[in-house]
Amino acid sequence: MTCPQCGEPIAAGDAFCENCGAALAATPSEPVTSSTETPARSCTACGGEVGEDGWCTVCGARASNGREHVVEQPSPTVVGVSDKGLLHARNEDACALASDGTWTALVVCDGVTTSTDSDTASLAAAHTARDLLAAAPRPGGATAARQAHWAKQLKAAASAADIAVEATASAGADNPPSCTFVAAVADGAVIVAGWVGDSRAYWLPDKGPAEQLSVDNSWATEQIASGIPRESAEADSRAHAITKWLGADSPDVDASTSTTTATTPGWLLVCSDGLWNYCSTADELHKVVAAQPSEPLSRAEGLVQWANEQGGHDNITVTLARIAPEE
Amino acid sequence: MSTTPTWTAEVFQNEYLPDGATDVHAIVTVSSAGTGQAGESGGAAEAIIIDCSGSMGAPLAKIIAARKAAAAAIEEIADGTWFAVIAGVGLAEPVYPRTGMVQADQGTRAAAAEAVSRLTPQGGTAIGQWLVAAHEAFDRAPATQRHAILLTDGKNEGETAQQLAAAVQAVTGEFQCDCRGVGADWDVGELRGIATALLGSVDLIADPADMAADFLAMMQTAMGRGVADAKLRVWAPQGAELLFVRQVAPTIDDLTDRRVNVTPLITEYPTGAWGDESRDYHVAVRVAAKPVGSEQLAARVQIEVGGEVVTQGLVKALWSDDSALTARISPAVAHYTGQAELAQVIQEGLAAKADGDIDTATFKLGRAAKLAAETGNEEATRRLEKIVDIEDADTGTVRLKRDVSKLDEMALDTSSTKTTRVRPSS
Repeated sequence: MTCPQCGEPIAAGDAFCENCGAALAATPSEPVTSSTETPARSCTACGGEVGEDGWCTVCGARASNGREHVVEQPSPTVVGVSDKGLLHARNEDACALASDGTWTALVVCDGVTTSTDSDTASLAAAHTARDLLAAAPRPGGATAARQAHWAKQLKAAASAADIAVEATASAGADNPPSCTFVAAVADGAVIVAGWVGDSRAYWLPDKGPAEQLSVDNSWATEQIASGIPRESAEADSRAHAITKWLGADSPDVDASTSTTTATTPGWLLVCSDGLWNYCSTADELHKVVAAQPSEPLSRAEGLVQWANEQGGHDNITVTLARIAPEE
Repeated sequence: MSTTPTWTAEVFQNEYLPDGATDVHAIVTVSSAGTGQAGESGGAAEAIIIDCSGSMGAPLAKIIAARKAAAAAIEEIADGTWFAVIAGVGLAEPVYPRTGMVQADQGTRAAAAEAVSRLTPQGGTAIGQWLVAAHEAFDRAPATQRHAILLTDGKNEGETAQQLAAAVQAVTGEFQCDCRGVGADWDVGELRGIATALLGSVDLIADPADMAADFLAMMQTAMGRGVADAKLRVWAPQGAELLFVRQVAPTIDDLTDRRVNVTPLITEYPTGAWGDESRDYHVAVRVAAKPVGSEQLAARVQIEVGGEVVTQGLVKALWSDDSALTARISPAVAHYTGQAELAQVIQEGLAAKADGDIDTATFKLGRAAKLAAETGNEEATRRLEKIVDIEDADTGTVRLKRDVSKLDEMALDTSSTKTTRVRPSS
């Protein structure tokens, strides 16, 4: 931990910085973090030896990246489930979470399938963004100031994640790894989302209408914005073509942000298109989420299972945080 | 000065396969750099084999050109390289030195040049005997990188086809040999067979006056190959069938039948010595179809030098239900598939023409004109135009010309295996 004012190291629980004397009352305790990891494994298909190139030397299967079905739960009310789905060869989604009770960050990145090593890219992006958000100061104060602060931090997180993605590219690759980015921070009742691409963040209050916090950077969304009906835009073969992403070949990684305030208890949901593709409107998604068990992990697992029942065409990543603002 | 060569392998393919598909095609471009000079590891040896049969004196220009060409090649042999000059007569006769090989220096090069200036036409053509004699000379030199240049002007009439085949088989893998034919009386197929087996090039020298420049270039190329011996190694998964392995650039050369099994899953193919250059390989593998969404490695294409894998390209298969992905054709695979067929139809067309089968010749050479146009092989088009009138390249409609020069036919035949590189895609 470092002092938010002078950057010198400080100890958890210090009231003042020993170097510059800044009051550290607002400094949070270290949040608990949890995210997708990739353990090394031998060939799960035939038991053969996996080569240094990451493929089985006997049957040619790609070595598992250990992410077929991953569960993260840094606190009882904050959970993430990432699943390969049914029709993709491997899971290229990644999630990274952080929570310390009153403060939560959810990050989801979806590797672009047509680029190489995008599973490595999404993991690096999610980790980097989560770590930056977890280490960010929490100034407190008025709602508007906190909203502006987290919007700025989310843009910084997307930018840092982009650099992390570029660093995963092997030299000379003509198809550099790339991924989407979406993150949401709940600082008490203040909720701020930031994104690049078409992974989404939603606020789903127990009472009142659901809100989609993010607006896809995608072909379909651009069409809908220009007046084409949602159904026909989303049915087009180009619907899922994203117009912004993270990676060396990305023209623009400036994250968009939006904010909302939790006035009643509810669920903050951050997910990849493997889920929302089957329930594109916020209302539809709200109903699907409400139909799941209320226990957080069961709810996230239920959503993944539901997406697989709809076809599991893509990797599915669901991260949920139960937000109960103080009255 | 010794350097460490750098190797790269690039794979060009469409890895997406539709449901149920089994065949995976890829072009692998292997490039080497910093290879240095010949003989850096284990020494180099050169043999120059000059046809001195009686026909080389008719006209005299041929033997005069051969003397100059041999002298030009000798001049390019680097100091320390072992070498010998052999005259191909009925049997092979050493020209210089009297036995075995000597190391090149100013004195031995001058002595060899003096010896070749006295070459005289006599006797017959027995190429198999010449190759065996070269092999014996190589075996008396302590050098592992061995290369020969062979010049002939006639068909192999001094021994039987079986004797020639047996000799070629006996020296295969012992040294590489670039073959050249001068004039119009030698057999392109025969010489191509020898050159292909001995990992060398084959070409026509239509005008004896061009011979010295060609010999000089061949020797320079040989002296610039710092990697004595590299092997292409292909791994395919258990249960897969390797359909073919073919060099497709700079020339077409089907390697499939030259396979050596290393393990049940790995085969190896000799590629000879390498300078700083780039070669393309077309690898085709048949794998068992897997469900949509599955992914697997279909081949590892590697280069092995001195028992070590120095570079590798991965050929993949990914089954998808997205026809936008599976319908794409790799431009590299399409280009070289066309070039391979072009070489085949040129050779078949010329063979049919020689047999007097005009219909087959017209059809095959018409197909060649179409393929040459499609793949942008302008040299092939230019050479074809000397044999046929191309009425419509798009449909492959041609008419055989009357009074075609034999040399033009041979030029088309010898150059049929030379390929153009794929056009860069946007």
